[in-house]
Amino acid sequence: MSTSQAIYAGWMDIPNSAAGDAIRTQAEEDALALLVSEYAPTLYRVAFSVLRNPADAEDAVQEAFLRVLRHRDTLGEVRDRRVWLIRIVWNIVLDRKRRAKTRPETDDVAELVRVLPSTGLSAEQVAAAAQHHAHVLACVEQLPAKERQVLLLSAFEELSSVEIATVLGITESSVRSRLFRARNLMAGLLNHARSSR
Amino acid sequence: MTPQTHNPYENLPAPGNAHSDAPGEAEETLRLIARLPAPSGLEDRVFAGVLAAPRRSRILTWPHTLGADRGWVRGAAAAAIVFVVAGGGWGIYTHVQQPQAARIVVMPPRVGQQGGFSSAGAMRTPQTLRGPLTVHPIKAQTQQATAAARQPGRSTSPRLRGVPSSTQGKLAEPSGK
Repeated sequence: MSTSQAIYAGWMDIPNSAAGDAIRTQAEEDALALLVSEYAPTLYRVAFSVLRNPADAEDAVQEAFLRVLRHRDTLGEVRDRRVWLIRIVWNIVLDRKRRAKTRPETDDVAELVRVLPSTGLSAEQVAAAAQHHAHVLACVEQLPAKERQVLLLSAFEELSSVEIATVLGITESSVRSRLFRARNLMAGLLNHARSSR
Repeated sequence: MTPQTHNPYENLPAPGNAHSDAPGEAEETLRLIARLPAPSGLEDRVFAGVLAAPRRSRILTWPHTLGADRGWVRGAAAAAIVFVVAGGGWGIYTHVQQPQAARIVVMPPRVGQQGGFSSAGAMRTPQTLRGPLTVHPIKAQTQQATAAARQPGRSTSPRLRGVPSSTQGKLAEPSGK
């Protein structure tokens, strides 16, 4: 049993007693710190890929861990905590995105210039690259929701198709067919935009 | 059949060739965003934020200090809650009086002689013409038959066939006066 598993198991097995209260609180904090340090960067990137706003993505990660705390009793039954956490944060960011539809999109070029890496590029090249990425992201936003979600999650190298299917609650074959449709739609959108220029 | 565990993007062209096809461009951009490093100090901020947030789920949980083995405490608390709720309900039921239905129906006052509608000077005209008199022959004949039946000599007269009973009395009478 690894250290993290031992801490998670200890979190669950603390008895309900007056003496165990302090120990339980300390164990909760230790387990939570371990979860945060292990999975917060991954969850942040997943949240940022949808929200494209650093502050909102950080808030979503924090809310995900708050939900973990609320459902800590069921944590022992979770087989793959990484996929479970990604699913939680995925639902949170989709919900936030749905609620914030009236807000202006944050896909502006200036934000991308600030966020994207720019080592070894001139200012003009950085601006052109940011403009190109902003255009591509605008096309991604035009995709239907199902195809867009699969396309976004597929960009994460650490997520397999089975894990994407688990996060979205669909079958693996659905993931593949949606990804195929998304790629075709994206090709059509980008070619149309290129020909209209 | 074993599930495929590799990423579906693995068979895609390399990012350097992304401009050759349109989907590659999109995937390159999305990969770029997916590879973005998390901001520094993210873990500490998230951890501090989670610890500082109120844990709402604990509000309704049973306090650990009472212990799980003290079942009688829970029973007493539950009984007290039931007693208070039931007593409060009974108190409300007994103190609130229901409005009784009125037994006397008060009729509105009739419009007086001075007020209300008037006859506007119209006078009742008595019926001066006599209507047609109604004759009830059957009733009169029945009365005659009854009177004849009361006479002792006529009651034993033989019945005539083919003659209505109302006229039998007339036929049986002696013709001479």
